Amino acid sequence: MSNVLTRDVLIKWAPLIVLLILVLSFTVMEPRFFSLRNFARIGISSTPALMVAIGVTFIIIMGSIDLSMEGTVSVCAVAFAFAFIWLGGTLASWAWLALPLALLVGAAIGLVNGLVHVILKIPSFMASLAMGFVGTGFALLLTGGDRIRVEDDLFRALLTERWFGFPIMCYVALLFLLIAWFIQSRTTLGRNFYAVGGGEELAHASGLNVNRVRIMGFALAGVFYAVGALLAVGRIGIAETATGSNFMFVSITSVVVGGTALWGGIGGVWNTLIGVLIVNVINNGMVVIGLPGYVQDGVLGVLVIAAVVLSTDRKSVTFVK
Amino acid sequence: MSFIKKFIEQETITRRNFLLASAYGVGGAAASSMLGGMARAAITDPTVAWSYRNRTNPYWNEIVSGGEAFVESLGKPKDFLTHLINEGSSEKSLADVKALLAKTNGELALAIDTNDAPNARPVVEAVAEAGGYVSTIWNKTDDLHPWDFGDHYVSHMTWSDEGPAEQTARILLDAMGGSGGVVHLGGIASNNPAIERLAGLKTALNDYPDVELLAAEPADWDTQKANQVMSAFLTRYGDEIKGVHCANDTIAYGVLEALRAEGIEDMPIVSYDGNPQAVELVAEGKILATVFTNPHWGGGITAALAYYAATGHFKPSDEPHSSREFYGPTIMIRPEDAQAFKAEYLDSVPAYDWKDFWGPTNGQIQYK
Repeated sequence: MSNVLTRDVLIKWAPLIVLLILVLSFTVMEPRFFSLRNFARIGISSTPALMVAIGVTFIIIMGSIDLSMEGTVSVCAVAFAFAFIWLGGTLASWAWLALPLALLVGAAIGLVNGLVHVILKIPSFMASLAMGFVGTGFALLLTGGDRIRVEDDLFRALLTERWFGFPIMCYVALLFLLIAWFIQSRTTLGRNFYAVGGGEELAHASGLNVNRVRIMGFALAGVFYAVGALLAVGRIGIAETATGSNFMFVSITSVVVGGTALWGGIGGVWNTLIGVLIVNVINNGMVVIGLPGYVQDGVLGVLVIAAVVLSTDRKSVTFVK
Repeated sequence: MSFIKKFIEQETITRRNFLLASAYGVGGAAASSMLGGMARAAITDPTVAWSYRNRTNPYWNEIVSGGEAFVESLGKPKDFLTHLINEGSSEKSLADVKALLAKTNGELALAIDTNDAPNARPVVEAVAEAGGYVSTIWNKTDDLHPWDFGDHYVSHMTWSDEGPAEQTARILLDAMGGSGGVVHLGGIASNNPAIERLAGLKTALNDYPDVELLAAEPADWDTQKANQVMSAFLTRYGDEIKGVHCANDTIAYGVLEALRAEGIEDMPIVSYDGNPQAVELVAEGKILATVFTNPHWGGGITAALAYYAATGHFKPSDEPHSSREFYGPTIMIRPEDAQAFKAEYLDSVPAYDWKDFWGPTNGQIQYK
């Protein structure tokens, strides 16, 4: 028994245990919480956030931070919507090209973000935050403050068509989660993220081109932000400057709650999946059990701190910055 | 002893010079302050500025487009309008106003939403002290009045949402057949419009004893948050929900999509603000009613009031109180008149007379 339940094992599985405890608690308080319909609803609200959170997971594993997601998501969403409508407005036409275009836009913004960070030697925190503002401003410039409706039934099937009770967007997110897991565990780039996050000097001394890894990381994150943007547009059928709103808080909270350490080198995309589910279960559960709106934000904050306390190994850290 | 004599002579001259100089100084100061005072009474070419949250929100975008239409009516380019964007920070709002006052030497016609009510007083005092002219909308405390500042605090406009929200609620409750459960998705809980729109629903509910208000949750004026809150409502209440009262259009979009995800197409919904997309949804019958507050006109006329007071076109202190503190316009939009409304207000923006300050307004502000 003591062999199975060592401290390391507990810490590894702590986020999942936290998630299960939350689901059980909400179910006890309101049995209707535990239903396939509700899990599908939690799934729908989780998918765009999951994509964005996976993107920033790679950056956080490297020990950097990326705060550009709100701007990047907005630009990708707006660029997608404009291209989609201009090219025909339905997936059955050439408008499907807008999908890869949005991913390219995301990659390009991420690339610029990485270049600004690495070449100008600006801390990732500041470089990405600034790029995020540039993105939001650019999205506003493109739309002039208007919202663009994407009403193609084929594209909206992401939300309206269901397989086994879950809309297609959940399966798309699952596919990209698997791709992210593949990149993280089966590619040189993925392993290099851990090398940089675990000890940058060591990685550099071993002959690793750290700058290149960083720039690639930001570009990769941009692609996942773009996927998040596409799913966000698929969910509400509107692309606007505000499409990116709130993603910063949700994604970074999710990554940390899932057990990926902000100092780098620890964690991964499965942790992020659990983290996103924890945050969305809390958000959904609080409304389902009928908690008054004015205490929800406070409760969310307290639960996030509790989840981080339970799910990260703080003993291995000598100092917190 | 000659050096003493010389010293006394010198002292006399310097004292005379000093007296002359100070006499000139006092007189000069008086003269320049008189000139200054006269210049303040009519600023020939004041800087026109709009201070607001940001343009991301369609409502504020409309407000600012009205401000731009106004400066274009002066024969100036759009970018003659100075934008002060506070991003939801009262501190930034005040700091930006003070900076602009310093830059323009007080020759400023400012239209502003001060972000929250307590911030209105320091903003107005700063503008009045510098000799500029300010018109406010939405936020101010009840004890702050334009007529306490002579001409420099020109006007305050707000919208009373309780009455129109009650009307939309009645439309909703009638469509529900006067029974069943209703949910309300509100704005940011502390915002005045959010409070008033919920209050309107509650007033209407008094006349419908068979309708139960199942829940009222803030959705922060945000489409995506509204989408998630509505999803959770569906889990908690399921088929008990027979109607949805939304605090504004952006919330209604999120609600519609949450329902669509569940295959629910015929839920009665009402909203507020009269955004173009919402008006289309009203025309399609997907939203039963929304309320248009004409933000384009509101944004233009607020800037116009400050501008024309600054240039001396009218003297605010000669106007009655009802012209200094008033309610903005509200127009109810139903499916039957959505097309006509769209043609009149949205397909092409009407050309407004920016000197008709009070035509569409709705009477003096009443304090409870």
